[in-house]
Amino acid sequence: MTALNDEARVIEAGRPPTRFARGWHCLGLADAFKDGEPHEIEAFGTKLVVFQGQEDGALHVLNAYCPHMGGNLAHGTVKGDAVACPFHDWRWSGDGRCAGIPYARRVPPRARTRSWTTLERNRQLFVWHDPEGNPPPPEVIVPEIAGVHGPEAGQWSDWNWKTLRVEGSHCREIVDNVVDMAHFYYVHYAFPEYFKNVFEGHVATQYMESSPRGDMELGTLSSGMLRSDASYYGPSYMIDHLYSDVGGGLEMEIVLINCHYPIDADSFVLQYGAIVKRLPGMTDEQAAEAAAATAEGATVGFEQDVEIWRNKTRIDNPLLTEEDGPVYQLRRWYEQFYVDVADVKDEMVQRFEFEIDTQRATTAWRAEVDENLARRAAAETETGAP
Amino acid sequence: MRPVQCAACGNQVLCEKYTPAHTSVQWTADAAVVCAEFRDRVGQGATSARIRTCRSLRTAIDRAVADGTLEVGDVRVDV
Repeated sequence: MTALNDEARVIEAGRPPTRFARGWHCLGLADAFKDGEPHEIEAFGTKLVVFQGQEDGALHVLNAYCPHMGGNLAHGTVKGDAVACPFHDWRWSGDGRCAGIPYARRVPPRARTRSWTTLERNRQLFVWHDPEGNPPPPEVIVPEIAGVHGPEAGQWSDWNWKTLRVEGSHCREIVDNVVDMAHFYYVHYAFPEYFKNVFEGHVATQYMESSPRGDMELGTLSSGMLRSDASYYGPSYMIDHLYSDVGGGLEMEIVLINCHYPIDADSFVLQYGAIVKRLPGMTDEQAAEAAAATAEGATVGFEQDVEIWRNKTRIDNPLLTEEDGPVYQLRRWYEQFYVDVADVKDEMVQRFEFEIDTQRATTAWRAEVDENLARRAAAETETGAP
Repeated sequence: MRPVQCAACGNQVLCEKYTPAHTSVQWTADAAVVCAEFRDRVGQGATSARIRTCRSLRTAIDRAVADGTLEVGDVRVDV
């Protein structure tokens, strides 16, 4: 007994990093912040305020807490191109300068608050986070999605967007999914038949071809083959190009965004959304419905992820088989965003490719699905149910 | 991992094969610089990270398996 336990694997839970990842983080759909009100965002261990200037029309992000007496600007009001604190009406411009203090003779010379670098792209708002305080390097871009910015954008639906707050987990949990082939079967009821990862620079990609599990009814997902080509650009923004076989030789093109920003070391906001390209003969309404169905399907999937995360432990030393993806190499890639730029090692960014042999897994899973179907059929015969 | 050299451009990578269908490739330099195929495609506007594979390198890996310099299944996942 003792001897056996001596050999038992001990989980190293480690601790979540104390700093937050360097990179562009998507805060949501840009339009959601354009209602004339300041918006509060809990992120990076603090609170931010997002507001749209009334004259410049631009979205600005500042520290939410007013440097005067700590009032929360997100609970204030937008006045011109500034946000006004609800406590004493101090006005703060998008660039962080104090734009005025109506009751005071003069503005203190050092009246500056922190302004965050923003980017509007793909009809989403991004904020740049870097613990070292450097501006975003030009090569670390958020790519433009052709379905939003390209010449054929008119053929695509609008975003159908969802937000999910995840408590008790570091966001590494969702990034791990990039390599986790088998969880797609157990947690998302898909049947991966081809699975490859490529990590290079600040991009981590997952190529997957899957079919739905025959023994699971998801309702919202397609019933045919699905090709997925998904890349994280930086630590938190994934663009997933999906090509779904909808029968009759037609493939529906979908772009699914999967992104998050950290609230603190132990919680994050997960956001995702879909756009769909109209198939020939499809109306705008039908494309919007398809985008909604895709987002609903993603909701089911992510909620099942959350259920796993809520009950699992953090694990720094996962025990792997040959059929598991390259978790350690993915985490080595992910580490680049948690160290100073000067400490980014070649091994974190040099190209790495990993193609899983899915044959063993698919054979086992096919047998399991068949067994489930047979059992169900037998039960239905017994009870006389249809 | 075993070194494999691409016959097309001489780029050397580290490879591992658990099975004939599994392939693990660790590049040891900037792919867009050292690989001729990547260099061409990046020159045409592709993003190196988003190129799925180098066909010449894949051929070289298959050849290394065929001639026995890269053994299949001689590794274990022990981490």
